[in-house]
Amino acid sequence: MNTRALLEGLRFTDTFFPSGGYAYSSGLEAAVQAGAVKDAMQLAAYVEDLLRGGMSRREALAAKLANRAGLTGQLDAAVKVDRELESTKLGRESRLASRQMGRQVIKVAADQLLGKTVLRGYLDAVGTDRTPGHLAVSLGLTLGACGWKGDETVAAFLYQTAMGFISAAMRLLPIGQNEGQRVLGEWLPLIDRISREISTETLMSSWSPIQDIYTMRHGRLEWRLFRS
Amino acid sequence: MSPPRKGHKDFQTESVGRVGELRLDYTRRDHKTIIARSHCTSPWHLLPPIYLDETGMAYTLLLNPSGGLVGGDHLSIDLSLDAGTHVLISAPSANRIYRSLGEVSVQEVKVAVGAGAVLEWFPEHTIPFGGSRYRQTLHVKLARGATILLWDAIASGRIAGEERWAFTSLENEILITTASGNSILERFALDPATDLGRIGLAEEWDYVASLYVVSDAVPSETWSRLEARLGSILDEHPGQQLGGVSMPAVPGVSVKLLTRTAPDLTRVLDALWAAARAELWNLPPVAWRKY
Repeated sequence: MNTRALLEGLRFTDTFFPSGGYAYSSGLEAAVQAGAVKDAMQLAAYVEDLLRGGMSRREALAAKLANRAGLTGQLDAAVKVDRELESTKLGRESRLASRQMGRQVIKVAADQLLGKTVLRGYLDAVGTDRTPGHLAVSLGLTLGACGWKGDETVAAFLYQTAMGFISAAMRLLPIGQNEGQRVLGEWLPLIDRISREISTETLMSSWSPIQDIYTMRHGRLEWRLFRS
Repeated sequence: MSPPRKGHKDFQTESVGRVGELRLDYTRRDHKTIIARSHCTSPWHLLPPIYLDETGMAYTLLLNPSGGLVGGDHLSIDLSLDAGTHVLISAPSANRIYRSLGEVSVQEVKVAVGAGAVLEWFPEHTIPFGGSRYRQTLHVKLARGATILLWDAIASGRIAGEERWAFTSLENEILITTASGNSILERFALDPATDLGRIGLAEEWDYVASLYVVSDAVPSETWSRLEARLGSILDEHPGQQLGGVSMPAVPGVSVKLLTRTAPDLTRVLDALWAAARAELWNLPPVAWRKY
């Protein structure tokens, strides 16, 4: 990847980007309140399990497919994967969170990455409810339009997701920044493996029943720090 | 129809397995749902519908006397519900998936639910034996005003023999498409020997189930009430069950459930189902006869 493409894409995955991701815990808050995640070790197991079973063949695959659509300018392909992803998101909070963050990414990308007609077309489709605008697709499309490869895009998406969990965990659990960095570092080989191994020929699927349940249960918590 | 039997000289192991078809077309006659047309090949057996109450709902048991599928079996079920019909589908026992050295056992279900019709799909759970290979697809198309209650559950294996999560592969796909074209898709592909196909944290549980209640004919406030009611049921017995309920991308509710024992699974199912029937139609729980 050339440096310009790297920098162009980095700003969409950086915590400085105003996606609103800090407001979401993706069900971690419900898991913590239920006592299922109490420390860094349990956090690591919980998130690794989600990355591997829940997201590798769903969001990571969607990001890779959207990346290809961004590289080739195929809007229809992006809309197709976006709509399939919408069908698989059975929990309202996680679905709306993904859509909110995705819409923020594509809005900025379409406005600022001039000359990328696929981004403008996707934003129009989102604005007219022809497609939901999920984060994995918006980000994949954007990084593809920036010239990032599929595995680089998936790695960035999963890293951003993992970072979001660490950020939420530091507010929910007695975990400091150094421990957070250590846990994040331990996830990198898995993120690398998923990024390389997930094939665009794979059918979209997901297996993370425990995390799915805690995401569903979040809306019933009596007190909440996060929106999901 | 079953494939023709071959003489021992030309018998080939790759042709092992049965192709069984079950097709049932339901219609409404004199306030009662009846089977208008049917087609059935081995191993399926067709029983006439049972009428459990005064609603005219046709209760049909899916009867496979072999009790399950072996490698190479390809069973299909094709249901069509005319407008205004009400059908309850179940099975007399769990669906066993036997060990296979190579061939996958396949079950494909296609359902078309007509305008204003109701399908309650509550089969017994699937038990994948150690070394089994199974693929199930369950595709439902809902016409405008149609309603489905769909339950699908798997066990970890033959738990009494401490055979848990020992199957070779298990793929499951549930697709419910509404008249608007929007859909629910639950698809998982488990292959415990691989890194991305492992069971993971769910290994400590023995039963995994989903319940979907979908209809575009139900007011949104009913879904909110049903969601709250199911949520209260799922909050009970922590440690024995873990469940969540939410609203999917189509009008309805989706439930995900884990339990440690079959009695827990049945207890929660009965409570969820009863709540859904009461909230949607003010009907009592089904008092079904199976044995």
